[in-house]
Amino acid sequence: MDDAAISAFPANNPRQSMWLVALVIVVITALVPAVFILAAGRDPIAAYAALLAYTLGTSNGFYEVLTQSIPLTLVGLGVAVAFRAGIFNIGGDGQFLMGSIVAFACSPWFADLPVPLGLLCYLAAGFVGGGALGVLVAWLLLRFRASEIISTIVLNFIVLQLLSWGIRGPLQEPARLMPWSDYLPESLLLPNLIQGSRVHYGLVVAIVAVVVLAVVIKKTSFGFKLTAVGRNPFAARYAGLGEKRVVVWAMLISAGMAGLAGSVQVAGIHERLQDDFSSGYGQAAIAIALMARLSPLWVAPMAILFAIFYVGAGVLQREANIPFPIVYIIEGVVILGFLCFEAISSKKGGA
Amino acid sequence: MDLMIAGLAAAGIRLSISIAFAALGETVSQRAGVMNVGLEGIMLFSAFLAAAGAVYSGNPWGGVSLAIVGGLALAAIHGVVSIYLGANQIVSGLALVFLGAGLSGVGYRLTIGGAPVMIPSFSAVDFGPLRDIPFIGPVFFSHTLLVYVAVALAFALYFALPRTGLGLELRASGENPQAADAAGIDVNRYRFMAVLFGGAMAGLGGAFLVLAQVNAFVEGMVAGRGFIAIACVVFGGWNPVGVLVACMGFGLADALQIRLQTWYPGIPYQFFVMMPYVVALVALVIFASRSAGPAALGMPFRSLRARRSVL
Repeated sequence: MDDAAISAFPANNPRQSMWLVALVIVVITALVPAVFILAAGRDPIAAYAALLAYTLGTSNGFYEVLTQSIPLTLVGLGVAVAFRAGIFNIGGDGQFLMGSIVAFACSPWFADLPVPLGLLCYLAAGFVGGGALGVLVAWLLLRFRASEIISTIVLNFIVLQLLSWGIRGPLQEPARLMPWSDYLPESLLLPNLIQGSRVHYGLVVAIVAVVVLAVVIKKTSFGFKLTAVGRNPFAARYAGLGEKRVVVWAMLISAGMAGLAGSVQVAGIHERLQDDFSSGYGQAAIAIALMARLSPLWVAPMAILFAIFYVGAGVLQREANIPFPIVYIIEGVVILGFLCFEAISSKKGGA
Repeated sequence: MDLMIAGLAAAGIRLSISIAFAALGETVSQRAGVMNVGLEGIMLFSAFLAAAGAVYSGNPWGGVSLAIVGGLALAAIHGVVSIYLGANQIVSGLALVFLGAGLSGVGYRLTIGGAPVMIPSFSAVDFGPLRDIPFIGPVFFSHTLLVYVAVALAFALYFALPRTGLGLELRASGENPQAADAAGIDVNRYRFMAVLFGGAMAGLGGAFLVLAQVNAFVEGMVAGRGFIAIACVVFGGWNPVGVLVACMGFGLADALQIRLQTWYPGIPYQFFVMMPYVVALVALVIFASRSAGPAALGMPFRSLRARRSVL
């Protein structure tokens, strides 16, 4: 598995071909649902016009896109960090939920702190909750050579059950009627950012996270080590880069970002814990991180693109009766298209 | 007590088979050097196809055929992208997971998802008097045909992989593709065939789930079995019979947790539902460091002979 990671992401002329990648994605995502829309006997062009008119043409639609792009960006950043180190963290959904559980469970301690401090502690708890799961995965990988692909996916199912128990047991609302928790204390909610929409201060958290991780990866020695370990773990070990420590930190940050996203989503949107609310963000984040070529700055626009699919899938459902899982088909086809594009362009480049 | 244990053992066998088909296919694929982490997606897609095929043809075999075709189709995509284009096998496999989940959900909601339907399913093979042997009968002679097919497949592979020419060439493609290539073996062709076989078997696993285990289709019903199948390949040390045993361990854990839920109503049921996954994690920790996979697993291969002829 180690060696496979090296050849995964040939970064030849990344900036130049980034626009081509984006173009390929847009073309694929236009063509794939069109097949289903035609099969359902509707006019694809009219359906797309409705999709674009809503997501980009109306303020409500665009605010929804921004709202969806918050968790997608945060989890996407996390995936990008792990993949950079050659670790296939596909447990974003479980880490997202774990972050939200831990942050929520700790919330009584933070509720009475002064306003920004309590919220910051709450978000930090989300990061730590997700990150702890990441460190566990890193430990299993380094100590027992347990493949992270299996361990992260298995942990997804375990955390899902943990959440299910939590909201029917210790974290359930005091009335004990519905399978959800009590509301988060008012002082820990992320305030609304744009009046009349669901866009909340999580957008600021996401932007800060993009900038911080971009600087960490581009400008710090850790960022350099991360990429070196991912490109060639053996060379990195010989160069004395402390491969193991890099793997642990990469998984801590990666899973931590997903956990942060979970706590942000609760504080900004749901305001309490409920059954499986990760909405496949962990899965979408993999496609986003790959499309961004694992560059944090590109994660944000790609997350907005995927947020358009998320919101647009709702439009297609209403307009043309196309079921929501079309989003997953798009994610799969986009990744395959990206792989083909990369393979063909790297062959042309004489690699 | 005996009856209870017999019931548990029979259920354990039944619950292991969908994983076993996928894991045996993956064993062949990995022995040829290609990892397919997309089993989950193939199983999801073919579970839907099995349901649709059985409903529309009125016969479970119609479902099985369609499921195998779907498995072959998704595996062919993985084969082309990861073998012939040399793209990262793990990323390509992940794409299959998403694609399969999407095709399964969209396909189901656009076809048989509208109203509740009866899915024609398999019934147990009639072994006559054998069924009445105490203990042995209910445990071993109470299953549908596909259960015996899976067990036979494991033993067939166990003998074929080390002993036949085809098995040797397949393993050479996974262990030392350069040497195999020098000996005139078309490595990528063998790998592609192995991936197709893996896809067909994962398809059969998805079909088994719908037509012989649950007798219904629910979205997302594969629930990580595709990934547990990959883990079972590691636990079984890439040996088909070992892989089958590992799968049966999981089936037993699954059968046990269902019973424990009713025996201990005081303990939250979620802890029993997570049991097979915890078992997978613990088994991964125990077995992962003890076994080594095929030497060239995960590495794309480009023939030196072909490259020379281009120059």
